[in-house]
Amino acid sequence: MNDRQLDSSMWVDRYGDIMYRYTLLRVKNVDFAEEIVQNTFLAAIQAQANYAGRSAEKSWLFGILKHKIMDHFRSQKRFQSFNQSDSDDSSVDDYDDSGHWKIFPKDWGLDPEKAAENTELAHRLEECMSGLSEKFRQIFIMKEMDGIDSTQICNEFDIKPTNLWVILHRARNQLKLCLEAHWFQNKTSE
Amino acid sequence: MKILKQLKMTCKDTSPLISESMDGHISFGKRLRLKIHLTICKACQCYKNQLEIIKNLAKKIGSEDFSSKKNQTLRPEVKEKIKQSLNNI
Repeated sequence: MNDRQLDSSMWVDRYGDIMYRYTLLRVKNVDFAEEIVQNTFLAAIQAQANYAGRSAEKSWLFGILKHKIMDHFRSQKRFQSFNQSDSDDSSVDDYDDSGHWKIFPKDWGLDPEKAAENTELAHRLEECMSGLSEKFRQIFIMKEMDGIDSTQICNEFDIKPTNLWVILHRARNQLKLCLEAHWFQNKTSE
Repeated sequence: MKILKQLKMTCKDTSPLISESMDGHISFGKRLRLKIHLTICKACQCYKNQLEIIKNLAKKIGSEDFSSKKNQTLRPEVKEKIKQSLNNI
């Protein structure tokens, strides 16, 4: 098949499932995910005439999907205004009065460059992510999974860069503790 | 000695800097203090490694082809519904 042509009759069978999984990972809710995938295909079929063939069919569809997911985040945003408590540093408890770790971070015995090859651990992180508050989760996804520019994230959530750093730091800290409790704990006792 | 004192940081000061340094530009002074602390503190080195592991894993999870553990698929009836609505346009 020519990579630079659209074949809408095959879209749902070819890309339906991967687009659905991609969406579900970001919006968590089955109904929303189904709706977003459907809206993406509908928008794509209406925009077919604008397809310039600059990218492959799949990337083109994913481009539209990413916009739809962002629209969804935006539509939810008004329900989750920024709390001052989001920028409080709750990780203070991790340190003693002299600023040292109460519990020393462990050596996970993994090379960060190779860690991404560990699919099982990736799934564990995926599970840990669902424990984050919705706002932290969305911000973490946009920044770390989708590589969206910090300035854009700050604009989307109407927060200052310093708030963004604190939120990211807290989200990472929480994920680290979750992985440590549910993965590395078992690994060392095996 | 005064300079050394200024450069000295606790682990509590260091960990947010580790995060910040992964996200973008931090000032030369902060970077230097971070580097000095990391050369002498094994715990913070481990912490930095952990955050880097999480960062790299998140990037993998975010890729278009990452297959979720639950292997979710679109329900067949939803697929049919979408196909029909695509045909009707």
